[in-house]
Amino acid sequence: MRQPLTSSFLATAVLAVSLAFLPGAARAEDGLTLDSDTFEGLRARSLGPGVMGGRVSCLDGVPGDRITVWVGTAGGGVWVSKDGATTFKPVFDKYCQSIGAIRVSPKDPKVVWVGTGESWVRNSVGVGDGIYKTADGGDTWTRMGLEKTERIARIVVNPKHPDTVLVAATGAAFSDSPDRGVYRTIDGGKTWTKVLYVDERTGAADIAMDPQEPNTLYASMWQFRRQAWTFSSGGPGSGLYKSTDGGATWRKLTNGLPTGDLGRIGIAVSPARASRVYAIVESKSTAFYRSDDAGEHWSRQNDSNMNVTWRPFYFAHVVADPRDYDRVYKGALNLVVSEDGGKVFGGAGAGLMGASYHSDVHALWIDPRNPEWMVMGNDGGIAVTQDRGTTWRAVQNLPVGQFYHVSYDMQTPYRVYGGLQDNGTWRGPSRRPGGIPNRAWESLNMGDGMWAFVDPNDGNQLYSEYQGGEVSRTDMRTGEAKSIRPAQREGEPKLRFNWNAPLHVGPASGALYMGAQFLYRSRDKGDTWERISNDLTTNDPMKQKQEESGGLSIDNSAAENHCTIIAIGESPKNADVVWAGTDDGNLQITRDGGKTWKNATPLLPGLPAHTWISYVAPSATDEGTCFVTADGHWRGDFATYVFVTRDFGATWTSLTTAALHGHAHVVRQDTVNPALLFLGTESGLFVSLDSGKQWAKLKSGMPPVAVRDLAIHPREGDLIVATHGRGIYVFDDLTPLRALTASVLGSDAAFLPSRPSELVIPALEQRFDGDTDWSGETLGETAVLCYYLKKRHVVGDLRVELLDAKGNLIMKLPASKRRGLNRVEWPMRLPGPKIPAAANLVQNLYTFVGPRAQAGEYTVRLVRNKDTYDTKLELVPDPRSTHSAEDRAVQVALVNRLYGMLGDLSWTAESVIGLRDSARTIAAKLPKKDALAVRLTAFATRLEAFRGTIVAAKEGGRLTGEIQLREELGDLYGKVNGFDGKPTESQQAMTVRLAAQLTKAQAELDALLAKELPAVNGALQGRKLTPLKRETRAEWDARQKKS
Amino acid sequence: MFRKALTALAVLTLAVVFAPASHAQTLDEILAKHYEASGGLARLQKVQTMRLSGKMTVGPGMEAPFSMEKKRPGMMRLDFTFSGMTGTQAYDGTQGWQVMPFMGKKDPEVLGPEEVKEVEQQADFDGPLVDWKAKGHAIELIGKESVEGADTWKIKLTRKSGQVEFYYIDTETYLVLRQTAKRTVRGTEIEGETLLSDYKDVDGVMCPFSMTNGVLGSPQKQAMSFDKIEVDPEIADSRFHMPAATVGADSTAAKPATPAKPAAPATPGKKK
Repeated sequence: MRQPLTSSFLATAVLAVSLAFLPGAARAEDGLTLDSDTFEGLRARSLGPGVMGGRVSCLDGVPGDRITVWVGTAGGGVWVSKDGATTFKPVFDKYCQSIGAIRVSPKDPKVVWVGTGESWVRNSVGVGDGIYKTADGGDTWTRMGLEKTERIARIVVNPKHPDTVLVAATGAAFSDSPDRGVYRTIDGGKTWTKVLYVDERTGAADIAMDPQEPNTLYASMWQFRRQAWTFSSGGPGSGLYKSTDGGATWRKLTNGLPTGDLGRIGIAVSPARASRVYAIVESKSTAFYRSDDAGEHWSRQNDSNMNVTWRPFYFAHVVADPRDYDRVYKGALNLVVSEDGGKVFGGAGAGLMGASYHSDVHALWIDPRNPEWMVMGNDGGIAVTQDRGTTWRAVQNLPVGQFYHVSYDMQTPYRVYGGLQDNGTWRGPSRRPGGIPNRAWESLNMGDGMWAFVDPNDGNQLYSEYQGGEVSRTDMRTGEAKSIRPAQREGEPKLRFNWNAPLHVGPASGALYMGAQFLYRSRDKGDTWERISNDLTTNDPMKQKQEESGGLSIDNSAAENHCTIIAIGESPKNADVVWAGTDDGNLQITRDGGKTWKNATPLLPGLPAHTWISYVAPSATDEGTCFVTADGHWRGDFATYVFVTRDFGATWTSLTTAALHGHAHVVRQDTVNPALLFLGTESGLFVSLDSGKQWAKLKSGMPPVAVRDLAIHPREGDLIVATHGRGIYVFDDLTPLRALTASVLGSDAAFLPSRPSELVIPALEQRFDGDTDWSGETLGETAVLCYYLKKRHVVGDLRVELLDAKGNLIMKLPASKRRGLNRVEWPMRLPGPKIPAAANLVQNLYTFVGPRAQAGEYTVRLVRNKDTYDTKLELVPDPRSTHSAEDRAVQVALVNRLYGMLGDLSWTAESVIGLRDSARTIAAKLPKKDALAVRLTAFATRLEAFRGTIVAAKEGGRLTGEIQLREELGDLYGKVNGFDGKPTESQQAMTVRLAAQLTKAQAELDALLAKELPAVNGALQGRKLTPLKRETRAEWDARQKKS
Repeated sequence: MFRKALTALAVLTLAVVFAPASHAQTLDEILAKHYEASGGLARLQKVQTMRLSGKMTVGPGMEAPFSMEKKRPGMMRLDFTFSGMTGTQAYDGTQGWQVMPFMGKKDPEVLGPEEVKEVEQQADFDGPLVDWKAKGHAIELIGKESVEGADTWKIKLTRKSGQVEFYYIDTETYLVLRQTAKRTVRGTEIEGETLLSDYKDVDGVMCPFSMTNGVLGSPQKQAMSFDKIEVDPEIADSRFHMPAATVGADSTAAKPATPAKPAAPATPGKKK
């Protein structure tokens, strides 16, 4: 990530300061490896969802019998589909997740170039760190330079010389920078030359290559700047350029193009006729242009279609049809197409009621072999058409949602709530049998979703908002919503709400807070607001000109609203202590519920003035303590700023260390262990066990994606992570982390506590969703144990044993072996029953598994070679369970009885098989007509006939429908085993009948053997052959124990 | 001048000779230490048969006992028991076959070509790292990588077939901690991984008593733990040949060798 000299200097200074404050003793754990691997065993669950995706910035594809689609996302990395957009796989999860450009090498589809840093520079845009290349279809990537370019808009590869690659680097959006323009390599990326450059404020916005004559190139240069309070597109630096020598030299094209300042320009050369070049040209009068002589002359085609002219900084993607040179597409709010060379544009699949796909189109790939087949990238993911844009299939298994914030409710299981960039506000369950499918998610609000909270006293009421402080209260039972936005009153200045205006539910008071430039509080669910502060911002009039924002194309969408409150935090310990951070760098505190305020800003060590205060997190355990992050990226300062005060803001300490990277969005102190901290930055999630002295990245299960918000569920102790590009993640159960002390880290092996495990009510769901549905990861119906290993286990035994309250071994579990924290799951069931072999499996899932373990305490033993470590595991009933202890006892007794009967039956059947096979084996060795052989065979046949009365022995396919004792007993066991409450009277009566049947069958067998076995054995002994012997129950039991 | 040129040439030659050699040496060194750590090539190549028995997880709360038998030159058999019924998969060096009686089908059937490739590789008695040159594979040292917090040498093996696998050899013990492999099933690549641990000496052969298999990127894993590994037990060739259809017999007839059954062995990638 780019670090300008000033900010890296500052970061160093901050680091020096923070190191200076560390007491020597705090380094006691020196020598211990505390890094990402330590926490790798705490794997985050990805909830997704996939039902709404996130912004896709670029696409490429490979035609063929199987179409490959490459997807570059604004914040969720690179995904590839090798099955025509049916399934997608992330292939860039170790690297920067903001993607600007993707290009597959035309000669070898395994060679793919990825330019990081999205170039559609909206306010929430991410930051790149260079260009990458894979030579093996995405398995491994190498960074090939251009580290400081921050944003890459487009890559072109010379089809004749694939080591020649040109890159349009848009560059820094928030600061001056010389690292931008058009770069070229002729050696596959080993070395780069900047071949087109204007100045530090002007980057390259697009580049196109003549498909027949790749030395002919077109590039657009764009002067632009984004600041926290304004955006400017256009200036004298902008222009359209052409090269005819492979990019070595460039000439500005002007003939027929508008005079005066230009803005962003998007270019496309027709693959069907290379002299036809299209361009969308932003100017005072933005229009679509075309040239029929390879760029020498241009003519204005269309300036009337809104989708042609709208928001050029965001919508400048032009794609020419591969076959018809008069057909050209342009993305904007909708995808539009012209069939006459750009004169007239109409919607592709967008009827009068609008399009079925998500709005805001940034990318389009057309299959060159079949131009009816196209993939579109938009603010909601991707959509696929097979009829040239008439109808679209929205892809719903690309979980790249860009959440701004996340919260939870107190249902069991709890649900998560959050708002996303251009995708409204959603709610989804934290767990669900078999996974969390798209259909489990519900849309609750529109627009660009931000904060969302359930009312703490009424779980049906939701507070949520969209951009610019448009907050409403929704009754989730009916969907009825009421706008509750605070309003400007007589005598007051106009209210200023940030794009991402802060909404807050006071943890101590339950009151609702809302921030404009003033702080508001409501004690009646938003119906009445009390203004509890004066203007808490700098109120700088120079930063309040959003009506003028946009440059050549005015673009006042609330995205540049500034001098606003951006962060609110009420102390969980004292409702009168409230913190407010502003986007223009003020950090304010009141200790009297808003009567008086103190500006604490100047006291933040090393923080440049006017740095955006991105988060305030008052401590759950101490009212004077508050953690704060600040975000300087708005001025090109990518240092990580995180601070703490322990005296109500009088003094501050920086918690920044060299292990941190990425500008900071959010910090959270654990609600139980005050030394446990979590920090979310643009490049991921970090954890500290010692109040911020040491940090390590938490990356298990998640890529280095921007982390925008964190919540800790108070009941479950889960860490819920809102990412801006990969949806929501959950780190289940922080209990082990809370107990991870230096002494644990110093031990060779040690158990860590876990939360009590709930005996989750078993539930099944039948699904045949195909491969296009996303399923979020759920928790199994398992107890989770956690232990620490100082080293990865390699040689000798390492296993986990479970013991009951009396110390009897219940079962062994496979152990996890990694260095650091390990998790092992136990399905909370005893070993499965013994079931006699037959022609078919018993068709009941709960027949395969053992009876449920009972609530109570168990001992877990870690066996590591000669050492053993014990801990307690507590199973508690599912809080949703309605079964009484008496009813459970009846179920336990019955399931155990049936379990025992299955064992009896298995012994019976197996002892019969043993006798039968012995008889057959001996008979087979005798002459066929030997009397003994005949006798043995007849005996075996009678045994087999008996067996046919206790198990379904008729072979011949699944649906023989034969039901014998085994089938009835197995099915009954499964049915009783699948329900924790009282079995039905029918089930109990059936048990009695089957028990009698079993007794009767055993008596029949005994009679058969009493009658025949002595005679058979007599005959065998007469021939000096070993007599047949039935396996005794004791022998059978011993064999079961062994296996 | 001439002298100078000669020296330069000599230096160049040296560089050419030594540069790749030193790299190859490193790889050879690692492999040599790996063979040594596994019991030594001489010992390993003397082993004629093996039988591994244990349990594997086949679902939450569901375990299947299994046994796997291997015999030189390239025979293998896997039996596993689930809910009282035993399935078998085997390869006798020529033919792959299986018996899957769980849905009422008791007769053996010939394996499809994709599955045969699978069992054929499982049947490679020493694994591809031994005698890799003679087997036509290519090996490359990629570098160091962490596996579950342990430093490992990452080695790329390109099989004669073109199939690529990675082996991660512990820098401390020189035992394999992880392997990944790509399989192409009906034109679609699936990448699987196996984690290995609990190595123990069995008659001079270091054997992993614990394995975890899964498809890369999926949280679903299958754990296999071995209770018993036998080196050079008596195993008749007939155990690997496909039996004739047993008309009139029943699915209790296909008895596993020991109490038990077979397992999906060290082959990553196949099981979902």
